Amino acid sequence: MYGWIWRHLPGNAWVRALLSLVLVFAVVYVLFQYVFPWAEPLLPFNDVTVDGQ
Amino acid sequence: MRVLVRTFSELCITAGTLIVLFVVYVLFWTGVKADNAMDSQIDALQDQWAQGSVPAGTDRESGRTASPKKPAPYEDGKPFAVMYIPRFGFTWNKPVLQGTGTETLKKGLGHYGETAQLGQRGNFSVAGHRRTYGDPFKDFPKLRPNDPVVLTDGTTWFTYRIDKKPYKTLPGDTGVIDAVPRKSGFDGPGRYLTLTTCEPEWGHSHRLIVWAHLDATQPVEAGKPEALRR
Repeated sequence: MYGWIWRHLPGNAWVRALLSLVLVFAVVYVLFQYVFPWAEPLLPFNDVTVDGQ
Repeated sequence: MRVLVRTFSELCITAGTLIVLFVVYVLFWTGVKADNAMDSQIDALQDQWAQGSVPAGTDRESGRTASPKKPAPYEDGKPFAVMYIPRFGFTWNKPVLQGTGTETLKKGLGHYGETAQLGQRGNFSVAGHRRTYGDPFKDFPKLRPNDPVVLTDGTTWFTYRIDKKPYKTLPGDTGVIDAVPRKSGFDGPGRYLTLTTCEPEWGHSHRLIVWAHLDATQPVEAGKPEALRR
């Protein structure tokens, strides 16, 4: 999987390494900004009221 | 075969990394975001108070025994007071927002919309996160009788005193935020305060409750109440 991505990145090894880094940051950003905020309320830490919802 | 094994191990590593990242998000990043949000809520409140646009109708010249007049209704999701609990640390202060929605509780403590307003007759009830989102009520079990809980709405300081050690109950026990809360030991109508959070610390099977009664009020012009002086 990662080997496939690496082979399909353009440029020499340095350019590929840089692009991989950018890709990693992009993935982390998407996770922290969109995926985790969606997933976090599914955990029990938000239940602090006695409304009995 | 080799490709299969390699792909499988890569997937395992990816899943592991995802889990670690998620833990970092829940334990650390929500706290960073919540601290920022709470600070900006308090800043917004202080700006609002500095401009003199305090909620109409609150009592300005009253002494300790006078009862504040009814303040304007709180706006949902907006901050209206700041809470101080010296037991949680001298610098501990959190904004109190109207409503107990998930989004609201990410920005501060949440006031149960249907309960009494600050300092009024009835039960002013507030919920807060014990863990994640800045851990506002992390030290909840350390609260003890006679601990002060101080709130201000920009015109008046309200000092509540806790009456009992934290009480553990079930999530459906809405009687704890009644006007005269059940099991609290209060025997008649009065000006009460209830704080709720989750129990156990990282779970959601129970709730932890403390009750307090209004002990003193003073206008902000009179300076900080004694409970907040070093």
